[in-house]
Amino acid sequence: MLTGYLIYGLINSVVLVLVALGFNLTFGISGVANFAFGALYVTAGFLAWIGLNTLSLPYWVSAPLAVLITAVLAGLLYRVVVLRVRGLVVSEVIATFGVGLALLELFRFLGFIGFEYTLPDAGDFGVSVLGVVIDSQRLLIVAMGAALTAFLWLFTRYTTTGRAFRAIAQDEHTALTLGINTERTATIAVAFGAGYAAVAALVILPLGTIAVNEGYNVLVNALAVCIVGGLGSTLGVIVASFLIGMAQTLTAAYLGTHWMMIVSLVAILLILLVRPSGLFGSHKQLEERI
Amino acid sequence: MLTVTELMVFYENALAVNELSLKVETGQVVGVIGSNSAGKTTLMNTLSGLILDQQIKEKRKGGERITIMGKVEFEGRDISLMPAYERVRLGLVLCRERHPVFPDSTVLENLLIAGHLGSKEQVKRATDLTFDLFPNLVRWRRRKAGFLSGGEQQMLAIGMALVVGPRLLLLDEPLLGLSPAMQQVVVGAIKNVRRQTGATIVIAEQFARPVLPMIDHGYVIENGMLTMTGTGAQLMDNPEIKSAYFGV
Repeated sequence: MLTGYLIYGLINSVVLVLVALGFNLTFGISGVANFAFGALYVTAGFLAWIGLNTLSLPYWVSAPLAVLITAVLAGLLYRVVVLRVRGLVVSEVIATFGVGLALLELFRFLGFIGFEYTLPDAGDFGVSVLGVVIDSQRLLIVAMGAALTAFLWLFTRYTTTGRAFRAIAQDEHTALTLGINTERTATIAVAFGAGYAAVAALVILPLGTIAVNEGYNVLVNALAVCIVGGLGSTLGVIVASFLIGMAQTLTAAYLGTHWMMIVSLVAILLILLVRPSGLFGSHKQLEERI
Repeated sequence: MLTVTELMVFYENALAVNELSLKVETGQVVGVIGSNSAGKTTLMNTLSGLILDQQIKEKRKGGERITIMGKVEFEGRDISLMPAYERVRLGLVLCRERHPVFPDSTVLENLLIAGHLGSKEQVKRATDLTFDLFPNLVRWRRRKAGFLSGGEQQMLAIGMALVVGPRLLLLDEPLLGLSPAMQQVVVGAIKNVRRQTGATIVIAEQFARPVLPMIDHGYVIENGMLTMTGTGAQLMDNPEIKSAYFGV
């Protein structure tokens, strides 16, 4: 029993990693707020569903298309909305959250509610680990989680664009004087993060149905992971995901599933009380030195 | 190479730069000398285009209204309205005051970020040049820039500007907050930069004593206005400069 909980807790942790990576890329690493993140996640799910069911496209067309459209949509969101308030973090948060809210409720308004909104999963085989059977979709989640984490880590260290993400978050004016087009870089960061959200949606959503409320849950979870781990730290995202993921699963197992959502919120509260810059956030100590 | 004509900059109604005209010829080292709040940084930000970004940001949050009048020409081209990052592509590179480095990135990463426009070989060459000029930085290459001393951060900041590949390098108060010994190191490095890269250099500085001997031409500004101009040697012999900046 406990082995089962632990293994499913680990998988739940990888789900959180997947969800938080994109958010961390945009808000943590690049310093651009995108609180429409959860809405974009759900949008990607619905777009893929529309591609598959309404337009009858094959999966290998519909899925990449959904990722691409979500990324472009996020880029547009940045260009049209965020650019007007760029530099005012609170306004960025409010504006993007507002757009996300509108987008999610638009889906509800258009009638995207129900059990028929599901995405196809990876197939019917399973692997037994320590006597616990893990289905193919969850194996895919673990594989994607590892792949996307590795890709992000390498991308922010070894590519020009990735380094520029880190640069604009640290000091926008210095980035400008080095010839970095900060607004274009920020647009790419938002689109890139949304692309990550879309990929996460496409591998996670087949476990359940595509529901509007997922958008809110995803945002809270991503926020919790990033705050606990320390904004901008990829290692922080991984550690925090495992802490919160295990806590969520064990809470659900021993206290009941309705307590699960509280875990993220409690985690946010606790870390803000004890260590506001997060477990691996170094911004604070450094700021004092400069 | 660079011509500024009757430049005026207002923050709301406060005049920061007042009808300032100056000229920088290719290959020169030009000094802009002035005390605190003389308008040096505003001038440098206007030359680099950074002020346009500040102008937009202030406007967005309903803050100070920044008004810029006059003309900035770089190699005969009017760049008054060109954004900062595009001016960098022309070779006009500013190193801002107070050692502008990325504190969370390592020394090497800072240099690589600065080299994002260049090819791999260019960046490698410029990075090597930086480590040649500032041997102190070599042993800290894997350390976060935020943990370096002020002087080392200033060296890194100049190194970053070099990696960008400047034809006209603008240095805003490179000696600010440094000990006299460290000031000498930085001054020596600036001389080396000129020798090794052939870049034209403009230095804005309040410490006249270490700067005047190395400049070809100097402009003294006070309250945003040009009060005196001449070669480095002429300015050093000027009694007013002596009393105001050397305390003699």
